[in-house]
Amino acid sequence: MEQNNIDHLFRHQFGKMVSILTRIFGLEHLETIEDAVQDTFITAIKAWQYKIPDNPEAWLTAAAKNRVIDLFRKIKAEDARASKLYSGATTLGISEMFSRYEIEDSQLRMIFTACHPDLNPKEQIAFALRTISGFSAREISSGLLSSEETIKKRLQRARKTIKQNNIAFEIPTGQQLIIRRDRVLEVLYLIFNEGFHSNLKDKLVRKELCGEALRLIKLFLKKKPLRDPKSYALFALMCFHSARLESKINDKNEIIDIKNQNRKLWYFPLMILGSEAMNKSLENKAVISSYHLEAAIAAEHLRAPNYKSTNWNSILEWYKKLNHLQPSIYTKLNIAIVNIELNELDAAHEMLVLLNENDLGKRSYLYFGTLAEYYWKKKDTENALTNINLAIAKVNNTSEQQYLIKKREIISSNSNTTYYK
Amino acid sequence: MKDFMLLFIGADYQELGLSPEQMQERMGKWFAWNQKMQAAGVVKSGEALHPGGKRITGENRTVTDGPFVESKELIGGYYVVKAEDYEGAMKIAQDFPDYDLGGGVEIREVIVFEQ
Repeated sequence: MEQNNIDHLFRHQFGKMVSILTRIFGLEHLETIEDAVQDTFITAIKAWQYKIPDNPEAWLTAAAKNRVIDLFRKIKAEDARASKLYSGATTLGISEMFSRYEIEDSQLRMIFTACHPDLNPKEQIAFALRTISGFSAREISSGLLSSEETIKKRLQRARKTIKQNNIAFEIPTGQQLIIRRDRVLEVLYLIFNEGFHSNLKDKLVRKELCGEALRLIKLFLKKKPLRDPKSYALFALMCFHSARLESKINDKNEIIDIKNQNRKLWYFPLMILGSEAMNKSLENKAVISSYHLEAAIAAEHLRAPNYKSTNWNSILEWYKKLNHLQPSIYTKLNIAIVNIELNELDAAHEMLVLLNENDLGKRSYLYFGTLAEYYWKKKDTENALTNINLAIAKVNNTSEQQYLIKKREIISSNSNTTYYK
Repeated sequence: MKDFMLLFIGADYQELGLSPEQMQERMGKWFAWNQKMQAAGVVKSGEALHPGGKRITGENRTVTDGPFVESKELIGGYYVVKAEDYEGAMKIAQDFPDYDLGGGVEIREVIVFEQ
């Protein structure tokens, strides 16, 4: 059997099985359910030591199905009030619950549970990655640059809130659907960005976060009431960004900026997929969301055969629209960066003086890095060096630090003054 | 050629709390090891064992429920393999996947009685 076919099989299967069993037994038994699913993997390892079955996924599904009766006994023994069990399954037989359609439906219910407004955003992300994507607390902590303890606490709080507030395991309807759908998209967007923009050493973890966000938005788009211009635009955005993922970091774990990325590594099929989604996101005079604008910016970069031919004017327009729709310090900083690219140094300066580096938190180095770029373009080497030093002092991550140190070398070496022409 | 029994000791995945991804990785390693041995034609038999068990002792045939040892000494399964000598059997055991998790292999030669 091809190794590719079973990439992440256990992890994905974990999410599927936990979702279905939760639908049958209820969210209050989540921990017991997670343990039971974990158990089927241990059985699988032992059974597969000698021969991997032709269809591992079907094997695991069958194993989970067999656990239903066990679980029923176990939960009943733990909780005498559990007489209402199977309520979720009364209209559907257990077997039907395990059909592809119902599996997807159950997973969507879990996504909506994870993104319930009663949970805070950080809990939502941790809970989604655990329950839907099958990451362990340790894996989540390395992906989100938090400690394992912090993640465990977030998971505990999320489970507690879900129980206490009696959150229903369902896909909301009507007006609620629209509000809650937007929140789900936001959480998927955040998970994706954690992967795409994070400064993690480990390239693999980042790819996995991006991959998960993509997988979940695809699941989302399969369901008709969830398909809307915004979800298509977010999907397009993820495709466009993902197309560049391989070229962003080299084998030595060094960051490569878009100027120096090997554009031949950009993954064409994802660009196509993104374009198709983009077209769908614009059908029927759709309302333009921030996802649309961010996707448009990403597409503009992909469109340029080389860095020189990047259409910065067009990118500037998109950023201005984005800042108008959803003002943010990052967008403003990006506007200044594009101004610098376009040699509109006065406009860049006007924007930069409005910004307060403290609003960027741990990323204040981005502000100083941009200032350095500005002064350097003004041929003010002294101020350029002062700011690049500030940026280097503020940055945490070693690969970004190396990137900035390289930049400092370029600034201080006079021979390189033609670098930006 | 002699027969050797490789007993797998310790590394209880359940107790170690491995993530699904890590478990899948383990499975891949077990499978690769088994394939390698199959290709070399050295495996005679092998079985995985449940962690629990029963023990009957004494004249009264008293039954106790297992496990009887600490999990780090629990036998999780075995292979019987063909090898020239201990040296050869130890070579086969190099690919056991769980050394990094605190697991180990005990190698015992199977006695073959001449008729």
